[in-house]
Amino acid sequence: MKCRYACGSPEHALHRRKFLGALAGITGLGTVGFFTRPAVAKELQKRQKHMLVIYLAGGVSQLESWDPKPGTDTGGPFRAIPTSVPGVHISELLPHTAKQMHRMALVRSLNTKNSDHGMGHYQMTHGRNRGGLNVPHVGSLVNRLLHPQDCPLPGFIHVGRNGDIKDAGYLGPQYGSLGLPSGGPPAGIARPKGLSVEADLRRHGFLRKVNDHFLAQRRSAETEAYTYSYEQALRLMEQRHVFEVDREPEKLREAYGTHPFGRHCLLARRLIEHGVTYVQVNHTNYDTHHENFDFHIEQLGEFDRTFATLLEDLASRGLLEHTLVVVMSEFGRTPRINVRLGRDHWGRAWSVALAGCGIQHGAVVGKTNKNGTAVTEREVDHGHLFHTYLQALGLDSLGTVNVNGRELPVADPSREPIEELLA
Amino acid sequence: MAATSRFAWALTVLVLAVAAGPVVAAEPLHEQIDRLIEAKLPSAPAPVADDAQFLRRVYLDLLGRIPSPEEARAFLADQSADKRARLIEQLLAAPEFPWRMAHVLDDWLMERRTAQGISRQQWLEYLRRAVEEGKPLNWLLGELLRADQNTPAEAAAFLLARGAEPNAVTRDVGRVVFGVDLQCAQCHDHPDIDDYTQDVYYGLFAFYTRTGLFTDRKTKKTFLTEKAEGEASYTSVFDSSIKKERVLPCPPGGKPLADPKLSKEELYLVPPAKGVQPVPRYSRRARLAQVIEEGSNLWFRRNVANRLWAMMMGRGLVHPVDYFHGDNPPSHPKLLDLLADYLLQNGFDLRDFLRQLALSRTYQRSSLPPKTLPAEMLAPELFAVGQLKPLRAEQLAWSVMEATGTSTTTREALRSRFLRDPKMRDIFQLDAKRAVLLDRMVQQELARRMDGNVKVFVREFAPPSGEPQDQFHATAGQALFMNNGNLIRAWLVPRSANLTGRLLKIKDTDKLAEELYLSVLTRRPDPGERQAVAEYLKGREKDRAAAIQEMAWALLCSVEFRFNH
Repeated sequence: MKCRYACGSPEHALHRRKFLGALAGITGLGTVGFFTRPAVAKELQKRQKHMLVIYLAGGVSQLESWDPKPGTDTGGPFRAIPTSVPGVHISELLPHTAKQMHRMALVRSLNTKNSDHGMGHYQMTHGRNRGGLNVPHVGSLVNRLLHPQDCPLPGFIHVGRNGDIKDAGYLGPQYGSLGLPSGGPPAGIARPKGLSVEADLRRHGFLRKVNDHFLAQRRSAETEAYTYSYEQALRLMEQRHVFEVDREPEKLREAYGTHPFGRHCLLARRLIEHGVTYVQVNHTNYDTHHENFDFHIEQLGEFDRTFATLLEDLASRGLLEHTLVVVMSEFGRTPRINVRLGRDHWGRAWSVALAGCGIQHGAVVGKTNKNGTAVTEREVDHGHLFHTYLQALGLDSLGTVNVNGRELPVADPSREPIEELLA
Repeated sequence: MAATSRFAWALTVLVLAVAAGPVVAAEPLHEQIDRLIEAKLPSAPAPVADDAQFLRRVYLDLLGRIPSPEEARAFLADQSADKRARLIEQLLAAPEFPWRMAHVLDDWLMERRTAQGISRQQWLEYLRRAVEEGKPLNWLLGELLRADQNTPAEAAAFLLARGAEPNAVTRDVGRVVFGVDLQCAQCHDHPDIDDYTQDVYYGLFAFYTRTGLFTDRKTKKTFLTEKAEGEASYTSVFDSSIKKERVLPCPPGGKPLADPKLSKEELYLVPPAKGVQPVPRYSRRARLAQVIEEGSNLWFRRNVANRLWAMMMGRGLVHPVDYFHGDNPPSHPKLLDLLADYLLQNGFDLRDFLRQLALSRTYQRSSLPPKTLPAEMLAPELFAVGQLKPLRAEQLAWSVMEATGTSTTTREALRSRFLRDPKMRDIFQLDAKRAVLLDRMVQQELARRMDGNVKVFVREFAPPSGEPQDQFHATAGQALFMNNGNLIRAWLVPRSANLTGRLLKIKDTDKLAEELYLSVLTRRPDPGERQAVAEYLKGREKDRAAAIQEMAWALLCSVEFRFNH
């Protein structure tokens, strides 16, 4: 008799993740159920969706970027400039980005009621406040739900930062992030000296034989996951070239910028092009308690050209259509300018920018008052944004996940998506 | 065929049940286990595992590593009928047993959390000592819940690791001690589970609402403290009319325990004052600890039985282990109650309980289902087939070191070093107790030396701290570690007495295959496997060492090695 887990059917190959999920209840493997909207599921199989987060660490000033208030007591020294969308103005520190505004949307009415870095990062990437359940990072969630099994690359990559298995929360570390702190190939991907490709493949051949012998009648979701991890590692080793930014034409590398952020964004595009589902690139030094304006000239100067090039590049390759791009921080900065010409932490009225994957072109959601000290229209928070990300990616953000037999909402059930952003 | 065997099986069960009927009291626990498990089976289960499979399984479960090839040879050659029972006795008495159990207890109680001011080493040492001395489990858990002036400093780790925050403590005491995850009931009655109400949550919470942290101003050390006042109250977040001003402390599944009536002056032994750690006359924390120490609380006893059962059998009678409630009944309710009662009657003795489980046919079932076994018999809650249990990070580390000969050679070297001095040798040989002492010293020094290696495996393979440790995760990163990492590579370089060094000296390929399989997979290869080894070595005369390393690597990375089966 054939063991019921032993399976060579095409159905298995196609729906391997679903298969693993279904077995989760039996084996105690911590995985989630399948909750893609059925109508969208078909679409997903046709075209994989991606998410790219540009994280401006420290907290970018909304007043020096997406929601300028020139000429007010809080506005600072910079002007607002028109963009490619009539009537929409952003800070003059972002001249290149302004020309891409027709591809983007802005949310100017965020109130996350928080001014702590750690909490802010958690809120924006997990869609909830910390505490209670160990909910996953959005990267882990989409890794679990959207990353194709046949992709040789991992589903969740942090560029410019270490990976963290805790990102996955209750989904389990296999959905956690792979970190590329220096923007190069991942650790351990290179074979040690003295081990040729030939010898490695030979011993893997022997390993497969040993496994087949054992698994003939003892297959489970856990053994599947284990043998699969070796196949994944082998394929990853063959993908070293994907991580090598220098393979790109020099002209393009220059357009992106030769500084780490430019190279990291170019790497992000390469990763998405090769099938990585979620990529997060960090750009640091936005925590401007001192010299807010000088620092923003410097940091946004670097950001602006790179980001505009990235959007252009994604669009021209047809990737933007399937890639949700989000520019976020842990919070914004205080309208009040302190005595050191700095701005402090501020979560009560700030902005994020989005683009791609069906995000409404040129949309601006919400308003702040004249000098940016309060939201006056369409107040939303990280919970609403989280729903919006999932919906843009074709997932039902009101659905639940099944973790070891427990049904848990994927996104904060007290929030809903920002429909104006969704085309 | 299937029908006949099913009938034969039913008959066997019937005969056994009738035979067992009047003498239940004298029947050892392991036989009662088998009777209750087998009574529920629709047909005959998988046979009892062969010696090699049993040997590997019981070593991994009780010592946390695979046996060395010498240990394997000795057991396989032993022809006596009671050799399994003797092996179980030997392992329960081995110095490695408390080391393994410290990790089992840590996985269960702490989920690898660390507590401020108490190093992980201290905490594990505390658990090891408790196991070594045979401290009853209800005392151990009572001590952790009590954690006052009368308990060892390390006992505070359980509460300190949760920051002594009453909600965090309530959640984990619920899960870890009583087997119920009450988290949802903090804010409202559980939407789906009738047993998880806000009353139950706040009844448990009330024991800890007076507990907090006290930091000594001079030493900056943090201690647990407790006040004599403070009540638990709640309001439902869904319906603010559902509320209670004062909830009496009540252990889950127990009765409310009112405070003794004390006048205001009588409340404290040491009254609170600035910079002084108060001591209440009546401690609610100690009252809950007392409930545990008495062992009479059924939820607690069932939870302990279920956790240990799950560790040995690969799945709880209640599954998941922290999900006891009316709609998630145990697969074998009578058995669970039997085990829970047995614990109480036998003083919550860890060794004794594990001995009974290990002696059962249920534990010793083969993980290889016979070809004729109906598919429904594979359902894990039937316990008709041995379950595959992924090795925990520490088990994996020690097994890889044992298989490659890394720890084996060090163990032997340490033993001979301790015995080099003739006077010491005479002392160690004085009596059995002192012989044990030598084993303990060797184990302690070996563990110290290998600690760095074990930590690397923990980093690569363990679930994150603070998460349930019974989850299995296989990642590409782990596979890259096995594929390209320095540690595995270095251990496979042939040295005089390690695995590849020994194999290199064996000229006969058949004997080589046998030594390889026995050392890594704790069994002798079958004819097909012997042939595969011979084929792999064919034409590799010039780089025989590399070929041997490749095969050894493959066995270490195999599913058969990665799982306890």
